[in-house]
Amino acid sequence: MVLINLTGIQPTGYTLLADDAQPKEGENVAVSVERLLGENSSFFNTAGGVGAIITTGTAFSDLDRIADKLAFAVIEFPAFGDGRGFSLAVRLRKDFGFKGEIRATGPVIPDQALFLLRAGFDTVEVTTKRKQAFEAALSRFPGFYQSDFGGQTSIAHARHTVEGLGVEGHRKAS
Amino acid sequence: MYAYDTYDHAMVNARVAEFRDQVDRRMKGELTEEEFRPLRLMNGLYLQLHAYMLRVAIPYGTLSADQMRKLAHVARRYDKGYGHFTTRQNIQYNWPKLSETPDILQELADVEMHAIQTSGNCIRNVTTDQFAGAAADEVADPRPYAELIRQWSTFHPEFSFLPRKFKIAITGAAQDRAAVKWHDIGLVLKKNETGEIGFEVLAGGGMGRTPVIAKSMRDFLPVPDMLSYLEAMLRVYNEQGRRDNKYKARIKILIDAMGIEEYTRQVNAEWEKIRHVPIDVPEKEVARIKAFFAPPPLAVSADDVAEVTELANANFIFKAWLNNNAGAHKVPGHAHVTISLKPHGGIPGDASDAQMDLVADLADAYSQGEIRVSHEQNLILPHVAKKDLPALWAKLDEAGLGTANAGLLTDIIACPGLDYCALANTRSIPIAQSITERFDDLKRLMDIGPLKIKISGCINSCGHHHAGHIGILGVDRRGDENYQLLLGGSGAEDASKAAILGPGFNEVGIVDAVEKVVAVYLGEREDEESFLNAYRRLGPDVFKEAVYGTD
Repeated sequence: MVLINLTGIQPTGYTLLADDAQPKEGENVAVSVERLLGENSSFFNTAGGVGAIITTGTAFSDLDRIADKLAFAVIEFPAFGDGRGFSLAVRLRKDFGFKGEIRATGPVIPDQALFLLRAGFDTVEVTTKRKQAFEAALSRFPGFYQSDFGGQTSIAHARHTVEGLGVEGHRKAS
Repeated sequence: MYAYDTYDHAMVNARVAEFRDQVDRRMKGELTEEEFRPLRLMNGLYLQLHAYMLRVAIPYGTLSADQMRKLAHVARRYDKGYGHFTTRQNIQYNWPKLSETPDILQELADVEMHAIQTSGNCIRNVTTDQFAGAAADEVADPRPYAELIRQWSTFHPEFSFLPRKFKIAITGAAQDRAAVKWHDIGLVLKKNETGEIGFEVLAGGGMGRTPVIAKSMRDFLPVPDMLSYLEAMLRVYNEQGRRDNKYKARIKILIDAMGIEEYTRQVNAEWEKIRHVPIDVPEKEVARIKAFFAPPPLAVSADDVAEVTELANANFIFKAWLNNNAGAHKVPGHAHVTISLKPHGGIPGDASDAQMDLVADLADAYSQGEIRVSHEQNLILPHVAKKDLPALWAKLDEAGLGTANAGLLTDIIACPGLDYCALANTRSIPIAQSITERFDDLKRLMDIGPLKIKISGCINSCGHHHAGHIGILGVDRRGDENYQLLLGGSGAEDASKAAILGPGFNEVGIVDAVEKVVAVYLGEREDEESFLNAYRRLGPDVFKEAVYGTD
């Protein structure tokens, strides 16, 4: 597996914490939302950074209690067509003002690269075989009709500003 | 009509380049069919029974003459010389070669057309009243809003992988010609007490194996709030719609399960959070789009034109065509004209390349270069001066496009059925052909009056049988094609679900059954009562007796 960096963020290195394990002092750990909902402040204080492993079946309202304690989030796509993952990323950014890294894992496809970026994802874990196609997909479209969480202004708005989307579009993938 | 700017052009061109790369990778074997499938579906490319099928969007059913010429060219150059206009204001080509589909899409992009989101679990082509901008009974032209939705929904970062496909329809008239109540979301333009324009919002309609009529969830949504409200509606559906069973994944099932009140509550709660975030486009953008749909410069003239009346009195067929196929325009002295793609014995919705070229020429000559496609699978010239009707009719009639049956029994909607479709259980087209041949008498058809027959070759109901005054549903009965008869459906503002009358028939029996149903209607109707009204008054029993006997 390799990591595709969509936004140029510094990707988080972390340990996937076993069910019965506790974080070491200062260690970055990723834990399921279910477990995090039951953990107390000492858990969060011990770990360096805590990330939530979020399945697409998670109700966004469950993130309310933990979102401000998270350093990063990993949204697991069980299938590329499970679009709930996109809404979960949007909710994290929009409803909870989450600023940390949001990573996508699972069988997402290269043609979703820009959709992920625009929904608020920073990084995607992909098979090495797909790396090139993912990177190619990132530079396909100069602009979109929606304002998004990748920092892009919509074409609808750009049409009525002096700068528009600029010559090369709104952003460049790093 | 909307015209692309550099942004729109860049978008469709980028899409073509992307698809060309995907097809190349498939042809070289770098992508398996399994990997290629979701990619081609996102470009409207299906694999059907015999070949690939390409579905091209005709956004809200509006076409220019030049676009129609391009559709004719594609039919001639890349297909077998015809195209099929569908119930969702799209056109389908049934025989494209995979290797040539990127070229087709590039040719379409050159005339500001595309196949984006004509399939897949995303927001599909927004449909509307085929007479939009022309109908005399219109509150406002729905097309600027349809174009806004087209842009907002194109490659939406969050709503491109929904539980299931998603269909939005808008109408601007009280008489619903867009079947809005049969859509996932229906929008009805209206004026409030202060004269402001807004929408009634309906949700949760749909056909398929579980027919549901949409429920109203908001009586008046101001225009500037349209996109943020749609965004809230889609978000709640995307998060909570079922994904475990594709037959239970449409929004109608979610709304049935949670109730329209709870769905509305959740949507409103979400909308309160986002309504001030800049999802909705700037006012200037709405104005920019609206300007493209400014009414064409038609000169008001007298509605009574002597030449038209004289020809109608002398020629019954012209009189019938005038009566059935020409409708009231908002500008006096004009009409909107329905070009029937339902010749008796023909294939509903099919048009040859030559016919498409002719319609384009006639649009240039008589209709401000504008053409519409209806969900009833006909073509429309929206802005015809009444004095031009005799000449127009003569040219249409000569090309086999003058069938005077718009809105009548032989103006049948039929899905492609087992002649093309990989999902179908039965053929649909031959049933439509048999019925039109059985009722091949214009005087009899006009006596019967408005009657909508809709035929689907399987329970997915692409032929809208649930909404047919007479619906026909093909099912597989132990390997035989069997046709169920349904009565009493409506796709209009008085939407209703058709009910199965009784056991099914073979392909001959179903035509006999339709004839008996019509005979009962003719015998029982009161005054000017339409078939649908008569059925609603009489109930099914009298029809059942006639069709199945009394034993």
